[in-house]
Amino acid sequence: MTGPQTKLDREQFAELFPFHFVVDREMRIIDAGDVLLRICPGITIGSPLANAFSLFLLASPTLHIDREYLIKHKSTLFVFKSSSSDLMLRLQLVILGDPERYIFLGSPWVRNPTELKALHLVLKDFALHDSTVDLLQLVQTTSTSLHDAKQLALRLELNRNELKELVDTANAPILTIDLLGKVRDWNQTTERLTGFSKADAVGKQFVEDFVNEESQQGVRKLLDGSLEGVKNARLEVMLNTRDDRKLLVIFSASPRHDALGKVTAAILVGHDITELDEYRTTLENRVADRTSELSLANAELSRVMRSKDDFLSAMSHELRTPLNAILGLSESLCEGVYGGLTDRQSKSINTIAESGHHLLSLINDLLDIAKIGAGKMELEQSTDSVEDVCQSSMRFVAELASKKKLRMSLVIDPNGPVVHADQRRLKQILVNLLSNAVKFTFEGGSVTLETKCHLERNVMEFSVVDSGIGIAPQDLERLFSPFTQLDSKLSRQYAGTGLGLSLVLRLAELQGGTVSVKSEVGVGSRFTVALPWKSSTSDIATNDHAQDQHATEFSAHESGPLILIADDNESNLLTVGDYLRAHDFRVIEARNGLEAVKTVRTRKPSLVLMDVQMPIMDGIDAIENLRGDMSLAAMPILALTSRAMVGDGERCIQAGANDYLSKPVNLKQLVQTIRNHLNVGPPK
Amino acid sequence: MHGMINKSIEDLVTINFGADKWEAIKAKAGIKVEAFVSNESYPDEMTYGLVGAATEVLGLSVSQVLFAFGEFWVLHTANKGYGDLLKSAGRTMPEFLDYLPLFHTRVALIFPNLKPPRFECSDRHPDRITMHYFSPRPGLSAVVSGMLSGVAKLYETPAEITQTQFKDKGADHDEFLVCWGDSIKK
Repeated sequence: MTGPQTKLDREQFAELFPFHFVVDREMRIIDAGDVLLRICPGITIGSPLANAFSLFLLASPTLHIDREYLIKHKSTLFVFKSSSSDLMLRLQLVILGDPERYIFLGSPWVRNPTELKALHLVLKDFALHDSTVDLLQLVQTTSTSLHDAKQLALRLELNRNELKELVDTANAPILTIDLLGKVRDWNQTTERLTGFSKADAVGKQFVEDFVNEESQQGVRKLLDGSLEGVKNARLEVMLNTRDDRKLLVIFSASPRHDALGKVTAAILVGHDITELDEYRTTLENRVADRTSELSLANAELSRVMRSKDDFLSAMSHELRTPLNAILGLSESLCEGVYGGLTDRQSKSINTIAESGHHLLSLINDLLDIAKIGAGKMELEQSTDSVEDVCQSSMRFVAELASKKKLRMSLVIDPNGPVVHADQRRLKQILVNLLSNAVKFTFEGGSVTLETKCHLERNVMEFSVVDSGIGIAPQDLERLFSPFTQLDSKLSRQYAGTGLGLSLVLRLAELQGGTVSVKSEVGVGSRFTVALPWKSSTSDIATNDHAQDQHATEFSAHESGPLILIADDNESNLLTVGDYLRAHDFRVIEARNGLEAVKTVRTRKPSLVLMDVQMPIMDGIDAIENLRGDMSLAAMPILALTSRAMVGDGERCIQAGANDYLSKPVNLKQLVQTIRNHLNVGPPK
Repeated sequence: MHGMINKSIEDLVTINFGADKWEAIKAKAGIKVEAFVSNESYPDEMTYGLVGAATEVLGLSVSQVLFAFGEFWVLHTANKGYGDLLKSAGRTMPEFLDYLPLFHTRVALIFPNLKPPRFECSDRHPDRITMHYFSPRPGLSAVVSGMLSGVAKLYETPAEITQTQFKDKGADHDEFLVCWGDSIKK
């Protein structure tokens, strides 16, 4: 081995070993690297080594450097400390002979870049092969990493504290249960609610020590599920408290995982529902109380409703009965039954009669509105001739129309010859509209009732058109409100209940229909009632009823006895008919003797009330006619006679009537008489 | 990519635009790292994602963001992270630039996974030097411009940095001419 056999000049040597120095046998520095000379002013060529450096030894005082020591420890790493600065050199000794020279090779001992700076060194001062720079860079990056790690730890600690604070201050019990069912964590809210401190709880069995017996089984299942990975399972749990209070909590349980995703515990987050539960119980009790109260109230309401119905019924009877007497007696007075009257007396009696009729209308309308409002109005649907219904309605207003010289006309749409509806209520609607038309049309004007069948819409329209005073647009909205007469002057000029149009609207709606109005002040009005209509109704246009051209049945109860009232006076038909219907009779009507005879033969009523004075065929002829038919022999006939015509009663009995009653009829007595003849008692 | 790069982007945004912007950028880039560690290696895509998101959130162009980052890296991050060691790389800007290739070689030795870029110097003159930048990562030449500008500022030496060769225009590497002193007075 001959070695590299290289001869380096001083510059090359200094580049490789910028911190070297050479000492002679007398221990004097005879050469040194330029960098060392720059950073270590204590080194002077020719001066003793001991002046520039001392030897740094572990566990020994600083040692004076001498030749023997160096030779003895030549294989050691020497650490020289500068006498003039903080510089420490780590050196390896190479001894060359002839002349004897001691060459020290190495570099400064620096532990960080700051020391480097303090020694006025830059990286370039080190030889490229010197790992000191690498170590410095490594130290620096490690230091940076440590700094980062500390920052990260600080941030994590901050997050942890924030989380802990959040958990502690959350207004919810939050606790952690480990795999063995022991409490691992227990927040402040749990402490406050249970009265058990975290120190009391941690390490204890959650279920056995803190859960009420009735909830234990459920909680075990909840925890088992959560530890198997089930998230957000919920359960109402009764917890034990230090002071034995009731504590009801809804817990939501979720698994807690470690960094490897393994379940390590169950986290329970709860919501105290103790107050809510108490409130719920209170509420349930209150609901039960209120339900009970409501039941009582309902019962009371039913009783009141029954009372109201009874009241309405009683009012119907009790008001109409004396009113009938008033009307009948007025009529009798007018007819001179009780002797002749002066003009002044006649006028007063007429006023009484008119007021009585008005009152009767008012009572009837009020009762109907009350019935509709209470849902008690029952419709009796039947199919009948449109013309019959219209004619019948027009007859009601014929007298007044005639007095006012009005042109009355009826236009029937041939496409709709029959209508399926509650005939009595339809007639009531039409009579109301026609009465208004007649009432609010000046003398010489016209009133028309026309029908229009809209096949495509299945609607039948009944329109009452007049050339009357008309209605202002702003008044149309409140036209159908009860007790409305648009102009107070009118209410004085034209008598009316103010209920008519309200009743028309309700009756139409009750049958699934509508009411509309078009009007122009000073020109006239058109009121149109549109009712549902089916073309199939035409299939039953020709039935038994159709033969009774002018007889109309208004039946309240299918099972009641059927009574035929034969009278040409519409008011009487209405008054007596309503009263009988109110007492559970079915009623059909005829307006002269001939109609009565025909109707009896087709309808076979249980009993006939026959007025004596009627057009076409009077009552006595009709009775005789009926008695000529042996099949009708058992049918009772009650004659209604006028007190003005003395002997009418006896003539009726002779003609075949079973009994007679004088007008004005006492309605109560009438009903009793009918029941006597039919051998039926009052309804239960 | 070196974690310090990502940390530097975080610091650049947080100091100049606010922490909320940084959170917005992280969210946009889909990065859920709580904090970057300087000497850890992170996927390059993460850094590119952050830069892309930063351009959108801050309303700056990519080259603006990268240049600003390069300057910030030298003046703030490296200065803070390497401190005296950085300054020890040279007493003057030319010395520093001359030492830069060696500096990266040592970094590569210490962190073999980081794959740092390679620098070379040529045409050394008293008032100018040519720096060669070799990197497999595309599109980062603006960062180098910013870094060279930052070094000039670190040594308080007025300088002009001109990119004279472009890898993205077909050259095998990027090249920068750094001039100071008399060369910029001409």
